[in-house]
Amino acid sequence: MTMVEYFSFLPYGKYAFYVWLAYSVSAITIITLFINAKRNHTKTIFSLKNKFLIN
Amino acid sequence: MWKWIQRQASPKVFYGTCSRLIPWFFWPFASLLVIGLYWSLVVSPSDYQQGDGYRIIFNHVPSAILSMLVYAIMAIAGGIGLIWQIKMAEVVAKVSAPIGAAFTIIALASGAIWGKPMWGAWWVWDARLTSELILLFLYLAYMSLNSAFDNPRTAAKASSILAIVGLINLPIIHYSVKWWNTLHQGYSVGTGGLKDPDMQIALAIMFGASIFLYALLVSIKAKTEVLVREQNSRWVKDEVEGLVL
Repeated sequence: MTMVEYFSFLPYGKYAFYVWLAYSVSAITIITLFINAKRNHTKTIFSLKNKFLIN
Repeated sequence: MWKWIQRQASPKVFYGTCSRLIPWFFWPFASLLVIGLYWSLVVSPSDYQQGDGYRIIFNHVPSAILSMLVYAIMAIAGGIGLIWQIKMAEVVAKVSAPIGAAFTIIALASGAIWGKPMWGAWWVWDARLTSELILLFLYLAYMSLNSAFDNPRTAAKASSILAIVGLINLPIIHYSVKWWNTLHQGYSVGTGGLKDPDMQIALAIMFGASIFLYALLVSIKAKTEVLVREQNSRWVKDEVEGLVL
């Protein structure tokens, strides 16, 4: 059984695997970018707080 | 308006503007994304040739347009930084690079996934695909060059020159489907593009969501970059000490 057949129960039938894979790849990329940006910001504030606390 | 733009050259003012704009970018992005996904996946009818497989277009085309638009913004901001020595323009250029690279990756990946059922191949060395891949390499080169220097001003100067030279690739990507016989279909927007109003609306909404996403990510990343660059300033000390984690 191919991946296309396996995922054909989802909406869009024989194209389901491709459509949902494309949207999933985009979602994962955007969520990663967003989480990374927020985490970096928090990390920077944390390290600056520590730096100012020492000085 | 001009005065407001000039005031953004000050790191403190720019930081404050980014902080204020984040909710104004987040909520339109979230709303447009939800509406756009509904319109793309539910409301829009099937295509008469490609069936439901064409729905990848609502994800692929906005990412592809943004990949070029972000590069243009990055090069223009880099140019402003080079000519007028405005540090905040350098910040915008620097933080735009990973976002533009992400949009390029989405465009390439969704294009490959769409290509398999329509062309029978994940990848072909077609003019449009190859020039878009070169765009990804330009983003990667920009980011590598920018992180190769300890001094942020020197890094910005070197990478801005690269970004400006790389601008030549944008018309090549855009006109590739006209200049060469490509397997890639013609323009999706405008003459010869999508005909059904629901398809056009879905594409427009998803494009709007992508614009707000870019603005949102730039604002968040620019705030971080400004804090790092200006960490020896008094206002950064006051700002950081006032924040609760």
